[in-house]
Amino acid sequence: MRVAESQRRAWSVRGSYERHKRIITAVGAIILVFVLGNILVGGFLNVHEILITVKLASFLALFGLCQMVVMAAGNAGLDLSVGYTATIAAVFTAPIMNGHNGHLWLAVLVAVAIGVMVGLANGILSSYARLPSLVVTLAMAEVLQGIINIYTAGRMINGTPSPVLQTVAAKSTGMVPNMVFVLAVVALVALVVLYRTKLGAILFGVGENETTAYLGGINTKRVRTLAFMASAVIASLIGLLLLGNMGNAFKDMGSSYVLPSIAAAVVGGVSLRGGNGNFIGVILGAILLQALLNLLVALGWGDAGKWTGFGVVLYVVLIAYVGDKRTR
Amino acid sequence: MRVLEASGIKKQFGGVVALSNGNLSAEAGCITGLLGANGSGKSTMAKIIAGVHNADAGEVRYEGRRVHYANPHEAKRAGVAVVYQNLSLVGCLPVWQNVMLGIERKKGLFLDNRYSRRKAHELLEHLLPDLDIDRAVETLSPAEMQIVELAKALAEEPKLLILDEPTAALELAEVRTLFDHMRRLAQHGVAMVFTSHRLWEVMEICDDVVVFRNGETVAQMDLRSGRHSPDTLIGYITGKEESNEERQTERLTRAPSHEIVLRTKHISHERVLRDVSFDLRRGEILGVGGLAGQGQRELMLALAGFYRHLKGEIELQGRKVGLTRPAEAIRENVLLVPGDREAEGLFLNHSLGINLIFPRYGLGTQPLFERPAQNREICRNAVSALSIKTSSLDVPVRTLSGGNQQKVVVGKWLSFDIDVLLLCDPAKGVDVGAKRDLYDHIVELALERHTSVILYASDNEELVDYCDRVMIMYEGRIVDTLEDRDVNADTIIERSVNTGDARARAESV
Amino acid sequence: MNPNRTRVAPRLRRVFAQPEHASLVVLVAMVVIAAILQRNFFAPTSLMLTIDALGPLILLTMGQAVVMVCGALDLSSGAALSLYTCVLTWIMESGHPLTGVLALGVTIGVAVLVGVVNGIGAGYMRISSVVVTFATSFVWLGIALFIRPTPGGQSVNWFNAFFAYDSVHGMPKPLLTFGTVIPPVLQLVLLACLIWFLISKTTVGRYIYAVGGGEDSAYRTGINTARTKTIAYVINALFILLAALFFVGQNQSGDARFGEPFTLQTIAAAVVGGISLTGGRGSVYSAIVGAVIIELVNKIIFFANIPYAYGTLIAGLIVIFAIGVSQLYTIYSQRSLAKRNAPQ
Repeated sequence: MRVAESQRRAWSVRGSYERHKRIITAVGAIILVFVLGNILVGGFLNVHEILITVKLASFLALFGLCQMVVMAAGNAGLDLSVGYTATIAAVFTAPIMNGHNGHLWLAVLVAVAIGVMVGLANGILSSYARLPSLVVTLAMAEVLQGIINIYTAGRMINGTPSPVLQTVAAKSTGMVPNMVFVLAVVALVALVVLYRTKLGAILFGVGENETTAYLGGINTKRVRTLAFMASAVIASLIGLLLLGNMGNAFKDMGSSYVLPSIAAAVVGGVSLRGGNGNFIGVILGAILLQALLNLLVALGWGDAGKWTGFGVVLYVVLIAYVGDKRTR
Repeated sequence: MRVLEASGIKKQFGGVVALSNGNLSAEAGCITGLLGANGSGKSTMAKIIAGVHNADAGEVRYEGRRVHYANPHEAKRAGVAVVYQNLSLVGCLPVWQNVMLGIERKKGLFLDNRYSRRKAHELLEHLLPDLDIDRAVETLSPAEMQIVELAKALAEEPKLLILDEPTAALELAEVRTLFDHMRRLAQHGVAMVFTSHRLWEVMEICDDVVVFRNGETVAQMDLRSGRHSPDTLIGYITGKEESNEERQTERLTRAPSHEIVLRTKHISHERVLRDVSFDLRRGEILGVGGLAGQGQRELMLALAGFYRHLKGEIELQGRKVGLTRPAEAIRENVLLVPGDREAEGLFLNHSLGINLIFPRYGLGTQPLFERPAQNREICRNAVSALSIKTSSLDVPVRTLSGGNQQKVVVGKWLSFDIDVLLLCDPAKGVDVGAKRDLYDHIVELALERHTSVILYASDNEELVDYCDRVMIMYEGRIVDTLEDRDVNADTIIERSVNTGDARARAESV
Repeated sequence: MNPNRTRVAPRLRRVFAQPEHASLVVLVAMVVIAAILQRNFFAPTSLMLTIDALGPLILLTMGQAVVMVCGALDLSSGAALSLYTCVLTWIMESGHPLTGVLALGVTIGVAVLVGVVNGIGAGYMRISSVVVTFATSFVWLGIALFIRPTPGGQSVNWFNAFFAYDSVHGMPKPLLTFGTVIPPVLQLVLLACLIWFLISKTTVGRYIYAVGGGEDSAYRTGINTARTKTIAYVINALFILLAALFFVGQNQSGDARFGEPFTLQTIAAAVVGGISLTGGRGSVYSAIVGAVIIELVNKIIFFANIPYAYGTLIAGLIVIFAIGVSQLYTIYSQRSLAKRNAPQ
């Protein structure tokens, strides 16, 4: 179809707004929540509060990165096993480290190995066997939960994280929590990998149009499997960080992050159909959700409000961003 | 009684004019044929009277009243039914449920299955007498499915029935059965509009025929009088050929070498390709023609490595190769410009630059970290080599015009060594001006690099203008190969359409 | 030839090739293994216990089957179940017998609302049903937590009739005998079967299969696919409600997290019972067979003295295995279909 010259010019002017519409909306919503919180409850708008929110949001944002990678690979990909992958990594590496720095490198290795195995299984079942990824990863979460149950049956989860890990995850440098630095570093690496290396270009291509990518010479099934592996490896490493933050491992460490991680990605503008993904958007989405959670907790609606709120946000955002706007 | 009268119909899609002056009328109890080459506007006309599209100008009168359908359902309610090729059947449901789907009769709150089964049985009795109506539709052969689609359309007792290429998947005996039933319908006063590429079918079943060419109705003829021969009809379909003297001479002076670059031996794939064997010489442009959907696209995909399991052998420069993945074909410098650019050739939401550079990532020689400067250089070369009109490399490719989009699909291969370039209907949906431009660029490049080209075009003029030889395909086989002076539109159509003779010829070889 | 009498022999052949009948064979095998492992499997009391465990799973699986046949999935099954138990016990908190009636009425309304919300997202908005119901599952959880932050609540005495007639004060003698012969849980299952039977004989029932078997084809034929999907979700919600009635009768309390483990089980059970993940195929009644198989597997694990801790692991593996096999079967049958349609 021919597009009139005027339409094309309009695109480039409007382009910047269109492209960043979701991010602008997210920033606006964050400001709104903070202001609302300050009005309703107070104490929301001081720097310390904001930094704590960002720190808590960091873990969520990192889980959101897992989702982003899998979603970008296309075909309505989602990874529901990230929560238990993180948990299982924490549970198995805690006794290895046992409070010392000596075996930190081994712990990292074990965590990565766990991630590789889980991701490989998820990837093969989703890409090669063509099973719906949501059901596969949900079942995988159950399997991992089962393994944790077996391992912890009748015994305490012992082991504490190495001090380095604790410093990185739990402590602050001056006013700024160290996790914020971690997030910044990860964001930088993500941006570089996704936008400056061929890995990112291939990932987005496969997600945008699998046939075109395949005809262009890419092994698309392998790329999607690798996306699941990347997600699981990142999740296990997050498990180490969670361990560092909490001080020990427990059974439900990661499971409450799964739904919000998907919400953060969707709010952050990552398309469910695949082909795009901006980590900055995901970070903003995570901050928004964390701020919302703080507000709900401050209002006394803790647990119930959290789930209802996240569920409603995801539902509404899905309708707004994904809902069928085409007429058939 | 005149059931349908469409006059002065104009229709445009984006920048492409599909119809500039369409006229058609259908009478109760008569069968009107629609004839025309690909792109002549006849399918658009059929869709307009079926209520799928709305005309931009002109009027459609149904039973004397002016009508304007908002969607096909409205048309259906008015008594206009369309029989497409297998678009509205649910595979896992049995035949009788499919036939009555949407129009089931109820006894109070509940379905009257007895009635539905009886009606379905009645409808199919004459069409497919031995068919078990409890069979799931997906277990039927494509021909049987087509008949069930027909029965479904008839279930609503339409006054006007549009049959869009219903015989495409049918064997001779089935076509005859279909025609018997159509005659019976005519006796009951149903008006029918029938399209087919097979001339003999139109001449046999239709009472009158309307010929389309270049978006216009060029002839309306009464066939009953017996005054018209197939040649007259072919004449109207093809029109007077403007002799493209320059094209002809250019083609004749370009003498492809005798070196054989690609040779296929007995390529077969499921039902769509059967025993395809041919040679491609260096520097030649080999055309693939024939009626639409005879396996041309599939042949291109097969050579591009799209099919994992392909029977037969492919040799490149005398060396046997296995092309089971597109990546392998690319490594052998056999590159495909796919037929459906939006679904197979482009990343619509990504930038022009990424689209142009993407196949390089599959090469394995690309460095991990991108070299933006180098990439932009490659892209700019492609843009200038093909004269792609764009303000920048960063615009999303979906904002480009059809012709420019097509250039992008070609352009992404320009930085590769190309031994064989497979062009799958490159000018589809591209308007006339851009078409010439696109082809000029492609041919120029091919000449410069001594690339061999296999060109499938649904528009025969393109084949004539650019090809040294043209293979005609029918039902997955190559039934004829035209050379030199035989490469002209008339002969192509003749050989594609009068497949009775051609097939006999192929079988006797 | 009378169209209503088809030839017998090919029909028989067709019957045996269907996956539902394969699962019947598996069912018989399971019962045999279970009877071997548990000596008193067929004794009245333990059989009753088995049936009490089976009933709700059957109801939930039937509901999931309806949605799956329509080409969608419901991941909010378990959460909806919990929500209904919480609503019921909350309204009945005062203990007055009439609150039972009110509770019933209100929860029916809630169930319809649940179905409609799912249907809007998956049907009208055409968002992937897995993602939509994933989101709504948390909304139901949240609302349930609002109503019942901790497990508790009350159920009026006559409500226990949904569990066992003999726990209701003042139950007339003839009804008591009736309740022993056909336990309430079976009555609920039969009610669900009746509801589905009636629906399957109407246009909507046919359309649920059509939309699941080929949404685009159904749409082109003029069927309102969004409305059909929504109706499927509402039917599912009502079946889940029946299971909630049983649980409230049994436990007299509501718990917001109670239903969580059920969701995946219903999907696996439906698949094992012959319902295709892609839609349009399978009989809702055969979902019953699937549920029984899954429940028997749980029982076998219990009696084989496999430690409880392994339960979740095995449950997860079973789901993966079940849908994996179902997918393989689909691919296999599609390929043989394509080969059969090829000429020569």
